[in-house]
Amino acid sequence: MKIPKPCKTSKTWIAAGTLGLLSVTATAQAAVAPEALVGPVADYKLYVLDNLEQLVTHTEDFTAAIEAGDLAKAKALYAPTRVYYERIEPIAELFADLDVSIDAREDDYEQGVEDPDFTGFHRLEYGLFHDASTDGMKTYAQGLMADVEELDSRVQALTFPPETVVGGAAALMEEVAATKISGEEDRYSRTDLWDFQGNVDGAREIFELFRPLAAQEDADFVARVEDNFDDVEKTLADYRLDPDDPQAGFESYDEVSDADRRALTGPVTVLAEDLSTLRGLLGLN
Amino acid sequence: MSQSDRSSRCPFTTLQTACQQTTSQKTKPQKTKPQQADDRQAGHPPTDPPSPAHAERRRFLKGASLTGLGLGLGFTGLGGACPARALAATGHGEDVTSAPQQQDAELRYPFHGEHQQGIVTPRPATGMLVAFDVLARDRDDLEKLMRVLTERIAFLTQGGRIPERDPLFPPPDSGTLGPVIAPDGLTVTVAVGDSLFDERYGLASARPKRLQRMEGFPNDALDAARCHGDLALQICANTLDTGYHALRDIIKNTPGLLMVRWKQEGTVPLLPPAPGDIDGSARNFLGFRDGSANPDGDDEALMDELVWVGRDHDEPAWAQGGSYLAARIIRNFVERWDRTPLNEQETIFGRRKMSGAPLSDGAAEGREQDVPDYTLDPEGKITPLDAHIRLANPRTPATEKNRILRRPFNYSNGVEANGQLDMGLLFLCFQADLEAGFITVQRRLDGEPLEEYIKPVGGGYFFVLPGARDDNDYLGRSLLAATA
Ligand code: HEM
Repeated sequence: MKIPKPCKTSKTWIAAGTLGLLSVTATAQAAVAPEALVGPVADYKLYVLDNLEQLVTHTEDFTAAIEAGDLAKAKALYAPTRVYYERIEPIAELFADLDVSIDAREDDYEQGVEDPDFTGFHRLEYGLFHDASTDGMKTYAQGLMADVEELDSRVQALTFPPETVVGGAAALMEEVAATKISGEEDRYSRTDLWDFQGNVDGAREIFELFRPLAAQEDADFVARVEDNFDDVEKTLADYRLDPDDPQAGFESYDEVSDADRRALTGPVTVLAEDLSTLRGLLGLN
Repeated sequence: MSQSDRSSRCPFTTLQTACQQTTSQKTKPQKTKPQQADDRQAGHPPTDPPSPAHAERRRFLKGASLTGLGLGLGFTGLGGACPARALAATGHGEDVTSAPQQQDAELRYPFHGEHQQGIVTPRPATGMLVAFDVLARDRDDLEKLMRVLTERIAFLTQGGRIPERDPLFPPPDSGTLGPVIAPDGLTVTVAVGDSLFDERYGLASARPKRLQRMEGFPNDALDAARCHGDLALQICANTLDTGYHALRDIIKNTPGLLMVRWKQEGTVPLLPPAPGDIDGSARNFLGFRDGSANPDGDDEALMDELVWVGRDHDEPAWAQGGSYLAARIIRNFVERWDRTPLNEQETIFGRRKMSGAPLSDGAAEGREQDVPDYTLDPEGKITPLDAHIRLANPRTPATEKNRILRRPFNYSNGVEANGQLDMGLLFLCFQADLEAGFITVQRRLDGEPLEEYIKPVGGGYFFVLPGARDDNDYLGRSLLAATA
């Protein structure tokens, strides 16, 4: 099938960092055949389901530790559990009710930590890391478990809309740009780098699945995105506790130097900007 | 922009035919002014040494020529610059800090030139300073950044139709000004901070000699989140909307190259044109006219001496045509000020509040443009020795070189925890020598009575790059070339 070359000019302007008046013209819509998207979308659903399965098992262990009053274990399991959620956020967020009860932050509530509606991971984070106690956490733990299971069953039944899947890559980088660089996501546990990596993994997975299609449209774009992903991952790798064991996790976000925060902002912003064009590149509305 | 537009150097393309004969580099209409009349205006004794009065604002004469528009044309014909019609089109009194009088969306300043715009350009009703961290990874990236900035500013300040794009993509323009961008008096002035000259880009050997990191002064309570920066943009326009549009355009076009560090916007009140008050300075949030004694931005020789780095200024050659920018975010305690007796307010500044006139011994109220003669008042019986204007400019031959060109805006940011308004002055001033200028003046002001009502909380020092000469030039080229 012949794929028309759309948006010739629109692809280069961000690379060149300029959108000079003449460098962007209205172009015909890209026409990646809809059936070409079926494979990658199906693969992505498998990825999401796999991560959900992990999320369920890890949440079981995490909440069990809380119910058993094992503070040290609960703290250790907090970040490694969340990471599965962070990877699949574009899909998880489709269920706004669950996203709020699982992942809202105290800033989302007028009364902050005291708000009776404040539940989920970050409520537990506050108890475990700020109060350093599992007291009173049992209900939140049980609630989280129930929400995660509910999420799992809803996603099983979900038909994945291609534009949500493809747009998810950009959405994840927006997450990073908005809340990870500033270090406000996990302010008590300081485990932001776990979430950071989770978002980047999730975005990269989507990008890799659609890469062959994108490459047909714009090879430079693909190369640039790869480079920027590599850059971000390289900086993140510097903060791994054990370079050979991904499960060992990351240093506290407090350890990240200002220079590295800036070094991360650059490629993250370019990724957000570039990936915001992925849907258009693949002709998705 | 057509060739004739550029060569005319007249900012008002709508008035093109009226503006063909410009010979000077000036970026705004120029006038010839009889010198003696100026002295007479200033009431200056003929025997005095050359004093600020000579070079000070001559807008009252200019004002006269503006009021008598019929007279204006013949009068200004001499200068060969844009005639008074063009002046009227600026919607502005004629000096840098005259109160803006009206908004002309078609007001357009030429982008290319020896100097950047936004310094001797009459201050419009809104302005902001945005400081950035530069994220460029190497010199190539930095050059790319400077080229993109140049290209964007050249477009934004001249205006035009925004580009369109396949609607499946994010639009290239925020669209906040609609499909056609009006120039709206926009100027974007690019300046660099001393941190840009660290080890990252190999610029250390070219650092302007007086460029340094801003240190706190005794009355300061600096907030680290609102200080310094590798690069700063001063963005001024008739409306904040135009400024914000420009800022978002620049951010969108520089991903991975720039990161906003802090931003402060401000405004100055529009002054409806009124006979007799044609060219008063705009008021600040303490209710006083601000800018009265500013050096005359139209006086090229004076600007070359005080504002622009030139051959005589002992700076690297690449820096010629540039200027130092001192930016300060200065909180005003307005509730407290409003509970202070008028006499005390006036004594603190050394000027009358309503008229802006300097304090005088007679009962008769003077005029804003009057020049105080401190030689007749050595003990400070009329103007206290610690009055703001007397400390800021003692008007002695020795302090002539400390004069600065101020271009401030009033800001209002919301409410403090104590329920008081967070208002103040985005103080911006330009000078050819940062140490002789802002730093010396601020040191003289340290401990002034005004301090009880103000608190500097942020800001930074920057060096304004020389202008981009033409389409083949870009801002920062001379700096990069000097360190190649
Ligand atoms: C919130 C802070 C400030 C306020 C409200 C303020 C206000 C004023 C006012 C009302 C005047 C008299 C009118 C005029 O000539 O413009 C004035 C003059 C002046 N101010 Fe300020 N000012 C402030 C901060 C500063 C700072 C930080 C500097 C420099 C370090 C400065 C330097 C000057 C100078 C040089 C003059 C002119 C004096 C003369 O030549 O007679 N001001 N200011």
